[in-house]
Amino acid sequence: MPMYQVKPVCGVDIKVDLPTCMYKLPNVHAQQGNSCSSEHALQNGEVDPAVKALEARQDEILRKLYELKAAVEGLAKTVTTPDADLDLTVSSSLSSQSSTAVFTGTTDLDALLGKDLGALRDIVINANPAQPPLTLLVLHRLLCQRYRVLSTVHVHSSVSSVPPQLLSCLGPRHPDSHSRHMFQLGFTLIWKDVPKLQMKFSVRNMCPIDGEANVARFLFKLLAPYPSDPALATLVDSWVDAAFFQLAQGSSEERAAALRDLGSALGRSAWLSGPDLSLADVACYCCVLQSGSAPSAPASVRRWIKSCENLGCFSHAKTLLL
Amino acid sequence: MGWKRGWRRKLTFLFMPCVSSCFSAAEEEQQAQSKKGLKKQQKEAEKAAKKAEKQAKVAAEQQSAEEDDFAKDRYGVSALVQSQQKLDRTLVRVQDLTPEKADQLIWLRARVHTSRAKGKQCFLVLRQQQFNVQALVAVGDRASKQMVKFAANITKESIVDVEAMVRKVEQKIESCTQQDVELHVEKIFVISQAEARLPLQLEDAVRPDGEGEEEGRATVNQDTRLDNRVIDLRTTTSQAVFRLQSGVCQLFRDTLTKKGFVEIQTPKIISAASEGGANVFTVSYFKTSAYLAQSPQLYKQMCICADFDKVFCVGPVFRAEDSNTHRHLTEFVGLDIEMAFNYHYHEVIESITDTMVQIFKGLRDNFQTEIQTVNKQFPSEPFKFLEPTLRLEYTEGVAMLREAGVEMGDEDDLSTPNEKLLGRLVKEKYDTDFYVLDKYPLAVRPFYTMPDPHNPKYSNSYDMFMRGEEILSGAQRVHDAQLLTERAQHHQIDLEKIKSYIDSFRYGAPPHAGGGIGLERVCMLYLGLHNVRQTSMFPRDPKRLTP
Repeated sequence: MPMYQVKPVCGVDIKVDLPTCMYKLPNVHAQQGNSCSSEHALQNGEVDPAVKALEARQDEILRKLYELKAAVEGLAKTVTTPDADLDLTVSSSLSSQSSTAVFTGTTDLDALLGKDLGALRDIVINANPAQPPLTLLVLHRLLCQRYRVLSTVHVHSSVSSVPPQLLSCLGPRHPDSHSRHMFQLGFTLIWKDVPKLQMKFSVRNMCPIDGEANVARFLFKLLAPYPSDPALATLVDSWVDAAFFQLAQGSSEERAAALRDLGSALGRSAWLSGPDLSLADVACYCCVLQSGSAPSAPASVRRWIKSCENLGCFSHAKTLLL
Repeated sequence: MGWKRGWRRKLTFLFMPCVSSCFSAAEEEQQAQSKKGLKKQQKEAEKAAKKAEKQAKVAAEQQSAEEDDFAKDRYGVSALVQSQQKLDRTLVRVQDLTPEKADQLIWLRARVHTSRAKGKQCFLVLRQQQFNVQALVAVGDRASKQMVKFAANITKESIVDVEAMVRKVEQKIESCTQQDVELHVEKIFVISQAEARLPLQLEDAVRPDGEGEEEGRATVNQDTRLDNRVIDLRTTTSQAVFRLQSGVCQLFRDTLTKKGFVEIQTPKIISAASEGGANVFTVSYFKTSAYLAQSPQLYKQMCICADFDKVFCVGPVFRAEDSNTHRHLTEFVGLDIEMAFNYHYHEVIESITDTMVQIFKGLRDNFQTEIQTVNKQFPSEPFKFLEPTLRLEYTEGVAMLREAGVEMGDEDDLSTPNEKLLGRLVKEKYDTDFYVLDKYPLAVRPFYTMPDPHNPKYSNSYDMFMRGEEILSGAQRVHDAQLLTERAQHHQIDLEKIKSYIDSFRYGAPPHAGGGIGLERVCMLYLGLHNVRQTSMFPRDPKRLTP
């Protein structure tokens, strides 16, 4: 028997919508067949294949364009350089105006140097002030044309003093140099009492690279990939080795022999390997300059030296030697 | 002698009952007594004879000594120097004893480092600060046996005045700093005698720890050194450390004065805690209480607002931090800099790092002997640095740490082990022990730090590290009263307490930045030592208030 009778306060048949699902989560499994409709990237970081194909086509077209452009420029150089009577200021202003890089071709810093961790990727080079690395300075100029490079020069405590031109060898300070993260690449040159030139990049993943030739190869690959044809690639490498071991460090007979080889090679084509400037040319030019054998070189070599100097990036190396 | 006789008596007491049991009472006693008496007399006679012999010997010696001592007035303990007379005597410094002074008769005053007698000769090593020289007292026409004996008995660390002839030696004396000469002593007087038992031995205090363990010889531990600081400071290592520290201070002053800075003195008794309430010493100030300054921050900034443009200040800093670590002291010497800049706070960073580099260069070029002396006892790698100083951004540091496997958020502060690891990574890549980490996250810096103009998560603040340990924390300061109030409110600081601080920016304040270093910590890290108490003359920490 109920004690009290209470009239119902609310209606008897109110429908209450009880949820059946506790939590809602987006579907974590990739949708296998709906690639066309999905807007965001698929789970494994793969890009939509259609977009990929489009990008590939665009890259191909751009590459062909660049190649055409390079070919035209190359022709222009070979036409103008033999009678290079251009005023040095004119030629340097020409080269500085042309913002297009000497080297073209698709290289991606992320692919080469590893994923960007949100911080400046700094290349550290320890060089002895008694032997300034001219090839690396030339390559630095080329890098600056291609990427946003933050260049700094330091003097290590193992060296008491350094001539002023070595302190300014990387050019004037960039106005944005107070914000390191705005640059893609860092180029830090440290004048230090080291027996052999050394480069350090990623201390965890890479061992230090010794020797100017090897560092030059590393830096060059940031600009343009080595020629895919193995024969041509080997030719470039053999010229680089000849430059450093025979021209720069060899005895006078070795140097003479190397100069003769240079002369004969340059008699046949404007540049040492392939139709365009390559690492071989950079290396040989700098070593010829450093060994001081430019005036006694054969005529073809002297012509080639002149054409190198007409490219703005080489002129600076020459001033450093004085 | 007394207790011996008493012992015999006691023993006879013990024996008495045994002896007397054999005979009749009175007879026994008499016989026993006579026997004992005889024995006693015999023994006493023997003793007397021995004593007489000894006395005769001593007398004979003394006589002979007195007879032969012709050098009586060439040695002895001098009367206390109470400025009785003003002698015009030139005392030569030990460091000036070179072969050029050979065959000269000179006077010098030094401490007796060691004295060793060998038959008719006594070898002394006389020491003056970091320099020491061998001296010889030999029986001859200038010195007598008694003089040699006296010299051998002079206690270590006593101060002596010596007149001697400087003589060249054929074989170099390896154990002394003056290796080419030797002193032949003609007169030796003790000016101030040291007590025979020293609380610590100086050779032990200079011995490197490893050597001590290997050869089983003693080394002195830190607490003993600090309790007897006066003697510990006499060691060559301590002399070198504190001379280097004096050099750091002097180079700091000279470099900044050349750059146009003005030295200021700021008050140390202040009314409000400058950094934070927790770590501050309270002093009773008449009827109220006051605080000892944790840093000259407020006053440096007020000087900038007072148009001094570039100031620096050298003075004590008091932090009541209850940390017993190798790098914390409750009182240390702070070298603080504050500077107004034109457009970018990097101008200040460049100025500060250039000052540090000049200090390092000055130490490298002028204090090599001191650095080598310290390295003998505490070996370490020489200090390396780059000019201009390497400046990395905080994000770069975090990326390097993440690459090395450390997990940390973008806005986390660096813990001490992370700082040390980052120091090692930077050393590996750039080969420098000194670098600046710029653009710290805003959340971990004090309220007066200027936020970054482009990214509100970061600030215009920087830390400088030596050998992976932080030595300077600095920033661009907020110089606008309005923004300062907002930042203080954001950090939930009571505005009343910092009212006078905020007021100083109301009447036109230039943009400025600065930072401060600890003298002891910089010396410790430059020399590669491991405890800041080694570079503080009379250190203060939560457990030590004396000497």
